[in-house]
Amino acid sequence: MTTDYDVCIIGSGAGGSPVALTLAQAGYSVLVLEKGPWFNEQDFSKDELACCRRSTYTPPLTQEQHVIEEATDEGDWVATPTVESGWDFWNGNCVGGSSNFMSGFFYRLKPVDFRLRSEFGAIAGANVVDWPISYAELEPYYTKVEQLAGISGRIVKHPQQEPRSTPDFPYPPLAENIISSWIDSACHKLGYHALPTPRAILSQPAMARNSCSYSIYCGSYGCSTGAKGSARTALLDHAVKTGRCHIQPHAKVYRLISNNKGKVTGVDYYDKQNKSQRINAKIFVVACQAVETSRLLLSSPGPYHPHGLGNNHQQVGRNLLFSAGGIGQGTFNYDNLTAQQVEALKVRGPFVNRGLQDWYTIHDTKLGHVKGGTIDFLFRHPNAIARANGQKWDDNGKLVWGKPLKRKLKAYFTEARYLQFEVFCDWLPTDNCFVSLDNTVMDKWGSSVAKVRVGYHPHDLKVGRYLTEKAKTVLGTMGARDIYASVSGNPPQNLMAGGCRFGTDPVSSVLDPDCRMHDAENLFVTDGSFMPTGGSVPYTWTIYANAFRVADKIIDQLGESRHSA
Amino acid sequence: MSRNSKQTRNSNAWRTFAQAFASWQASPVSRRHFIQGMSAISAGMLLPVSTRAKTQPGAAPIPQQAPWQTIAAVQEHLFPSEADSPGARDINATSYLKTLLDDAEHDQDERNFILNGPSWLNELAKTEYEKPFTQLDVTQREQLLQRIARSEAGENWLSLLLLYIFEALLSSPVYGGNPDGIGWRWLEHNPGFPQPTSNNSYKKLLLR
Repeated sequence: MTTDYDVCIIGSGAGGSPVALTLAQAGYSVLVLEKGPWFNEQDFSKDELACCRRSTYTPPLTQEQHVIEEATDEGDWVATPTVESGWDFWNGNCVGGSSNFMSGFFYRLKPVDFRLRSEFGAIAGANVVDWPISYAELEPYYTKVEQLAGISGRIVKHPQQEPRSTPDFPYPPLAENIISSWIDSACHKLGYHALPTPRAILSQPAMARNSCSYSIYCGSYGCSTGAKGSARTALLDHAVKTGRCHIQPHAKVYRLISNNKGKVTGVDYYDKQNKSQRINAKIFVVACQAVETSRLLLSSPGPYHPHGLGNNHQQVGRNLLFSAGGIGQGTFNYDNLTAQQVEALKVRGPFVNRGLQDWYTIHDTKLGHVKGGTIDFLFRHPNAIARANGQKWDDNGKLVWGKPLKRKLKAYFTEARYLQFEVFCDWLPTDNCFVSLDNTVMDKWGSSVAKVRVGYHPHDLKVGRYLTEKAKTVLGTMGARDIYASVSGNPPQNLMAGGCRFGTDPVSSVLDPDCRMHDAENLFVTDGSFMPTGGSVPYTWTIYANAFRVADKIIDQLGESRHSA
Repeated sequence: MSRNSKQTRNSNAWRTFAQAFASWQASPVSRRHFIQGMSAISAGMLLPVSTRAKTQPGAAPIPQQAPWQTIAAVQEHLFPSEADSPGARDINATSYLKTLLDDAEHDQDERNFILNGPSWLNELAKTEYEKPFTQLDVTQREQLLQRIARSEAGENWLSLLLLYIFEALLSSPVYGGNPDGIGWRWLEHNPGFPQPTSNNSYKKLLLR
């Protein structure tokens, strides 16, 4: 059978791009279908309206949305379309996906994350399982990503350090604000091991990319220098240069076609003019980010897959993961500091870049031996309009205006800096967190949107609170004022994984250990969907690493049969 | 006051405003507005805007036609100009808002809600003081705004005006507010670089 391409990849983000690069470099012809437009460095600027107040990089919810099911206090599930709630579950629909807008806090998983069930035992109400692969199998690919994404950092030995095959990161740490040294002193006093946070941001020019320009805005913003290791900059641009990778933006895939043996034979997509197009290839890769990947598979029944592609055992969409944890903040008022300290603290640009993994596993008399997580410190996001808008309410929830509002704004912006922390811990997989298709709400093309039930396990909150208390001791020891923290079961929609577990048993998993669909031999899923448990760090590095691992499996499967382009 | 207030609430202007509020409340934009207050890195309001809007550096005149004189007076009261700090008129808050709402792509419920406020406010002003809002003194304006802030519709109306004052104060000058970065300088805010130009404003990016 003749095909248009060797490999057709659906989704151009962190999951799809490593496959595109690897296969194109190996001589195969690759097509990447991306729903959104193709932006580049010149399009990105420090524009708060573009990044965060208008739907510039995500679809208008009136045209494409989700339905979110949340539990009421009585335990009932209530479904709300996001067009009504305003709770936007899109994270970046453009070439490179949401990796364009990540902060690039890059942590590896640790060996213990691959065997959570064996290490800590079962937890009632949670579907915890071991992974079918070990850390050792992923380690070479973590190392590969360090090089290609360009990770800056410095290894500091600590009790929970994961093994690595190289001594240190390929690029030195990014510049730091003075507050990083205050965190170090406080942690030293407390007996904690403050770690420089590895960042997927170049501290030196390399690989045809500029280094970081310390322009203050990073997370939520597209990078204007190419320093941020987005899938677009670090991987796809190089894939395109091989001449064997074609990227098709404005291509919304709505269905995979499969034959009576289960094999995928083509994909249907709508082009920019909303005309349906069909593409065939030898291998298909789905990487649309967890929720949309499950939605696409469920929307693609075939003769062998009557309940949706790969869903003969009703596993697609189940065990969706977010990241549990919380956030906190402490205030550093300038009038409590020396003039010199204030000057140094006011410097904008250099990063905080400090994390704590002392409690990645916890041995506690009350909690017992449980999986813990990661604490990361950062300055409050500098978005000015959002910060100003937060000042218009007084402590009693009453609107403030006139001169009192102006005095409040002036003080908030000019008399203190705000150090925050984020806690990342495992979002336990449960039967209350899954993707299905909504029967009533359609997107602008008439396809059912994803319905996402976002229940959490109460254990997550216990672990989150434990870590939050530890983080607060750091802020307290540093002399911060107005310290507060919040831990909740609300899912952060930008940190999602799961829905298509990999495993050895076709009855309880969707993908095999190579992330190939159990009953569709030429279909791979390479975004975060494969993860049976999520670990206690942001997902992007692991998604990159695993996608590079799977790319090698795809090459094994294709063998020497390259498309004659 | 209570007698007059009852009269006002039965008026056509109130009914129109209350209906506009109800439509706005039922629209996606309003709920998003509240969610945004909760997070610094929230997902952004749903306000696609076409390329018709033009950027005018420097001071922009306040439009003469109704209801813009009243809106300008309310904005100036909410965010007054002072000798050492910019107010609504210094940041082009009125023309910024008009440009935004004039766009055909802007959410129509929000546009109607904002533009219907002044008739109600002026009717209230005439009942209380026998003058339109623009002719009231500062104390009278304050009393009137305090009063409308006690209703849900009135509070939401003022809150929206404040949001767009902050946009005019702190967004890039390419969008018509914050002339020469006057808002950034006042709050010692470093906006980062590069800043958007007319070639890569969100209005242009939305066409891609």
